[in-house]
Amino acid sequence: MSKVLNKVLFLLIILDFIFIPLYPKTPFLNINETFVAIRLEDFLIAITYAVWGITTVSEKKIKDLFNDRLNQAMLLFFFIGLVSLFSGIFLTQTVVSSKLGFLHFIRRVEYMMFLPITFYVVRTKKQLFTILWILMLVVLGVNIYALGQQYLDWPVISTTNSEFSKGLILRLTPGARVNSTFAGHYDLAIFLTSVLVILTSVYFGVNKRNRIWIIILALLSMGILILTAARISFVAAVLGMFMVIIMLKKKKLIALFIVILLMILIYPSQLRDRLVSTITVNILNLGQRYSAQTNDQRLRSTINIPTLAIKTSSTSAQTSTFATPSGKTATDITPGEPIDTTQLGVYRSFEIRLNLEWPRAILGFLKNPLLGTGYSSLAITVVKDRIDSIAIDNDFLRSLGEVGILGTIAFVLIIIDVLKRLRNGFRNQDKFIRHLCVGVFVMILAFLINAVFIDVFEASKVAELFWMVLGLSLASLKFNT
Amino acid sequence: MSRIIFIVFSILLFIYMIWPQPLKIADFKPLPNSFKSTLDGDTVQVPNVSAYFSNNYREFALRFYKDNYQGAVKLPFSPYRLNYPPEYSFIAIKKHTDTTYLEELVYPLKGSLFVNGFEPYYENGEPKYWGSSKFAIGESVFDTKVTLRLFPSPFWARFIVFLGIIASIIMLKKLFLKIVFNKRLLRNL
Repeated sequence: MSKVLNKVLFLLIILDFIFIPLYPKTPFLNINETFVAIRLEDFLIAITYAVWGITTVSEKKIKDLFNDRLNQAMLLFFFIGLVSLFSGIFLTQTVVSSKLGFLHFIRRVEYMMFLPITFYVVRTKKQLFTILWILMLVVLGVNIYALGQQYLDWPVISTTNSEFSKGLILRLTPGARVNSTFAGHYDLAIFLTSVLVILTSVYFGVNKRNRIWIIILALLSMGILILTAARISFVAAVLGMFMVIIMLKKKKLIALFIVILLMILIYPSQLRDRLVSTITVNILNLGQRYSAQTNDQRLRSTINIPTLAIKTSSTSAQTSTFATPSGKTATDITPGEPIDTTQLGVYRSFEIRLNLEWPRAILGFLKNPLLGTGYSSLAITVVKDRIDSIAIDNDFLRSLGEVGILGTIAFVLIIIDVLKRLRNGFRNQDKFIRHLCVGVFVMILAFLINAVFIDVFEASKVAELFWMVLGLSLASLKFNT
Repeated sequence: MSRIIFIVFSILLFIYMIWPQPLKIADFKPLPNSFKSTLDGDTVQVPNVSAYFSNNYREFALRFYKDNYQGAVKLPFSPYRLNYPPEYSFIAIKKHTDTTYLEELVYPLKGSLFVNGFEPYYENGEPKYWGSSKFAIGESVFDTKVTLRLFPSPFWARFIVFLGIIASIIMLKKLFLKIVFNKRLLRNL
């Protein structure tokens, strides 16, 4: 019975590794008050968890599970999350919908539980390699689909706004960025960052025949990463790969690495333009700015009154609308913003974080420093007259705002424990496992770099894969003991 | 030593959290020389909301309610101020609230008072935007409208949260020692 359950569980985990990254984010069940939907993969995950639960009970492993300090840290994180949610609903009353808050909490549990499950399921080196080979094929599939979107007009499913997230089948418009099956270019970019970092490390741990496949896959992944034009993920990937080279003491490769990096930066691409704009607009504050065309525009750009009436006139064309008939300037541009569309995108990307999203999280933290204001409390704002969801785009601030200093410390403890275990793996007798541990160790650091500007631990596909890969790498440390 | 600090902290936190606090908006005084709004949405439609027309501007109104709140709670320290973007008033007060500023006076882990102000004119009389107008109530004309919303918390919720915080701190310390210093036993807690 136990053997059969373990086989079923292993197959389910393989299915998760295939299904989660490859199945588009098509909604299955919509939920009121949010445009985040329940998808088919959630049912697959629920089945996996149910089978895991039955297997654990039948093998009498529950005590072992609770004795593990990493599992204890995760349970504590969930406990503090629940206390924070309770506080957010009944004490600070910042969780507007308790149902939504609870779903946000369940989402964290759903993602993180992949670590102990994958750790539990993978028991042999053969199982590890089976999953890794499947993952390589999955990465290949993700990259090929991204190329199809870019050059062959393949369908795009996106969740970047409330309309798209209804499951609309879209096509990439000129200037739009590929997202493959990840429904958002940032999500795809973070996935590729993790892939590149791990591949760089694993490359030195395999034989020459396999190295060719790794090089092909890494080059393809880097190409797609450039197509996403995600600056922070690109920086994280570059720093991560550089860190791997240093940690593995392959210093001779640094020069080659720098040459490749320079070639990427010189070659004209949207990524290069956005990186340059980051320096000119965000850091040096340069670039031609839009000036107010009317006195009303000037006044409006200095005040923030959501219910303010718009000045209109039947005889004058000088209304408050900032649209320009030329089509060269964005119709919703406001005084002080860059006129160039690339610069405008980069400017807004940072300003929204700095002036809207991050202050919300800081206010949540200040309101209740110990517990934050609860899950789902920060990600709300008012768009026109409707309460809507926003991201925080900084996972450190989001954590402090949602679960306070206590929840954040619990989360940090989980990461520290995983890092310490992986560091022990650096001394593993098996060369491949040693390199896998280095790659996953740096992948965590790359994730944390991404977390400065993106909510990586809430990005469903990416977060699920993150915890699965951690479970997989920690499982590999069991083989020699 | 750390055990004593923790026990003292727990006792102080417990006293602070169960300390009485205003439970209804009527426990707060009206602004000086003001007229209480009887408009829809400013009375009974939204819980614990009241609004006042007056000539009191932001700094005065905030200082007034900060002192008022501290007086009602009777703690030796005042609540702190958090400044929100005006559009958040749609969530904190009610939808379509006219606003030029929104601040919150907070006693963390107890309750808070949102103070929303609508000031169509600067204090020097200059209009802030096209179409600025004063508030005409009967024969009186006022410069500003201040809307308050109180968020008190029930005693049982504070008690449960207190237990949750204490349990979390104890377990966090145990795990911190285990994970960071590889210590198995806990001596102090």
